[in-house]
Amino acid sequence: MAASKIQALWNHPAGPKTIHFWAPTFKWGISIANIADFSKPPEKISYPQQAAVTCTGVIWSRYSTVITPKNWNLFSVNVAMAGTGLYQLSRKIRQDYFSGEEKEPLKE
Amino acid sequence: MAAFRSFWNSPMGPKTTHFWGPVANWGFVISGLADTQKPPELISGNMTSVMCIYSVLCMRFAWMIRPRNYLLLVCHASNESVQLFQLSRWAKAHGNFFTADLVGNEREGTKL
Repeated sequence: MAASKIQALWNHPAGPKTIHFWAPTFKWGISIANIADFSKPPEKISYPQQAAVTCTGVIWSRYSTVITPKNWNLFSVNVAMAGTGLYQLSRKIRQDYFSGEEKEPLKE
Repeated sequence: MAAFRSFWNSPMGPKTTHFWGPVANWGFVISGLADTQKPPELISGNMTSVMCIYSVLCMRFAWMIRPRNYLLLVCHASNESVQLFQLSRWAKAHGNFFTADLVGNEREGTKL
């Protein structure tokens, strides 16, 4: 019984033998890479890259709920991307604009 | 004018997700290009290598979905090039990473 269910999943047209499965699944790698980079100093964060990650995450989260069928896997991976991107941006902004005041004069 | 109108109303046009999804992904290409001007010490090895694998997968995905999404394909082909370039810059800056022996001491003069 269980074997045939697993077989059905395995042979699904959007299943693990297809790119329709692996491309969205691998997208989690972007969020995982970001989480690994949480421990890096904020000087190494790239504003353009994290802005791109955040915007992609937000736009694709929205669109994964308006396509047919709704793709919750795609939705969740893009929510995670937007979240990690926002956090990295906040770390860098905090360092560039809020914690430098005690040590150096304000940059104009 | 007629060409613009047919683009505007197309099932893959700016009123649809088939358009804006790929457009959002061009952000990676643009940010990658901007980052080529920065020193390689600022490159994230994690993110860049993930991007390299991710863009290959997305090129295949864009080709296999129906309708075929050429905009997405070109976007990820470009991103693949930019990210591979960034990865090469990162690898050069970290050249000694590959020549460190088990004890953690780096050998001299054997950069890749």
